[in-house]
Amino acid sequence: MIMETRYQRHIQLSEVGPNGQKKIKKAKVLVIGAGGLGCPVLQYLTAAGVGTLGIMDHDHVSLSNLQRQILFNENDLGKNKVLRAKKYLKTLNPDVKVLTFPFALTHENAEQYISIFDIIIDGTDNFYTRYLISDFCILLNKVMIYGALYKFEGQVSVFNYNKGPSYRCLFPYPPHVGEIPNCSEVGVLGVVPGIIGVYQATEAIKVILGLGEVLSGKLLCVNLLSHQNTLLDFERNQKEIDQIKKQGKAIPIENQDCFVDFELSLFQLSSEEKIKWIDVREDYELPRVSHLNPLSCSVSLDLLTGSRQKIIAFCQTGTRSRAFVKKMKNKGVGNCFSLIEGAAELNEWVKKNMNYNGTKI
Amino acid sequence: MEMKLRYFGQLQEATGKKEEILTDSFESLGNLRSFLLKRYPKLNHVHFKMAQENKIDIDSSPLRGNLIDLLPPFSGG
Repeated sequence: MIMETRYQRHIQLSEVGPNGQKKIKKAKVLVIGAGGLGCPVLQYLTAAGVGTLGIMDHDHVSLSNLQRQILFNENDLGKNKVLRAKKYLKTLNPDVKVLTFPFALTHENAEQYISIFDIIIDGTDNFYTRYLISDFCILLNKVMIYGALYKFEGQVSVFNYNKGPSYRCLFPYPPHVGEIPNCSEVGVLGVVPGIIGVYQATEAIKVILGLGEVLSGKLLCVNLLSHQNTLLDFERNQKEIDQIKKQGKAIPIENQDCFVDFELSLFQLSSEEKIKWIDVREDYELPRVSHLNPLSCSVSLDLLTGSRQKIIAFCQTGTRSRAFVKKMKNKGVGNCFSLIEGAAELNEWVKKNMNYNGTKI
Repeated sequence: MEMKLRYFGQLQEATGKKEEILTDSFESLGNLRSFLLKRYPKLNHVHFKMAQENKIDIDSSPLRGNLIDLLPPFSGG
């Protein structure tokens, strides 16, 4: 009864009805990128009652995000986006099961996470991840809902829907490094991702309900300054799709602008794994996480360069450890990652994993 | 034959135009592309697709449309 009241205005539509609402409840949607596009997508899909929503993003909330990333507020600054988004979404609709993946999509983990869901929403800000999502959606036969923007314009399309075309059928060749301005390099009017994200959420609901004409084989180009919307048809390119299927894996692209693969979340760690921990904080910062016997950041470079174990640096919020790891990568330390969470979360994680086998040097 | 070209995204910056009318005739979309790359050298630095009469088409297709759209991929999210 409560469910019926919450979704009354959906159920009243003859095109949705109680059965349509059940379909929405059964749906599993993964939103990759909890930024300008991801925020409105998540908000509307949560409100709509999508049964299972996954959120994947490695980033923290920063002040310059608040101009357009509407799930966050000033209290969230410096905090993990995915976890803050979940907190907000749970207050909006506790019926929705929210799965959190506070790390970047990589060639190694893409299959594991994409395979759980029916529909994948592309809310990324870089070509590397976009091609990765596209290739895995081809391989795993998942519907991909594309949205991207530039200043006052946006593009929307739905890929792999009922044997329709894919992103690579539209743009087979990734742009070269620096060719297309990426993520933070270019301004955007805050409402633009809002509108494009709502288009993506609309297409997701239409796919779930089998309603209307899905943007499959069509690229919607939206211009918010001129209000000139253009709908362009494009065809499936079997050669492009076969190429991915034949490889059986994603084809990495050269352009890694804005792609981050040196961060790790506690969610990705096994308590059995032997790890060299580095605490990059000052001595007086608490908690100390002494169970792990962490090294300090003044550790000799030789010790790190020669390490066969995974090295993970942590700090209070993940910001300083990120800077440290970037520096280490530039000095040739390969197997080095920054912990997305802070020392407090790490300490809790250690307590929960009492069998943890830390490594002493 | 008059043909209207519309530039999307950063192609507007590369050409300095939102749209323009051309009266030249071209056999294929590829010929039109070569013409535009010479006319606007900055276009050489951007991948873009072309559509005629609201359908994205390949360069080897004969040019038969009066409305040509030129669009780059977008990256922002």
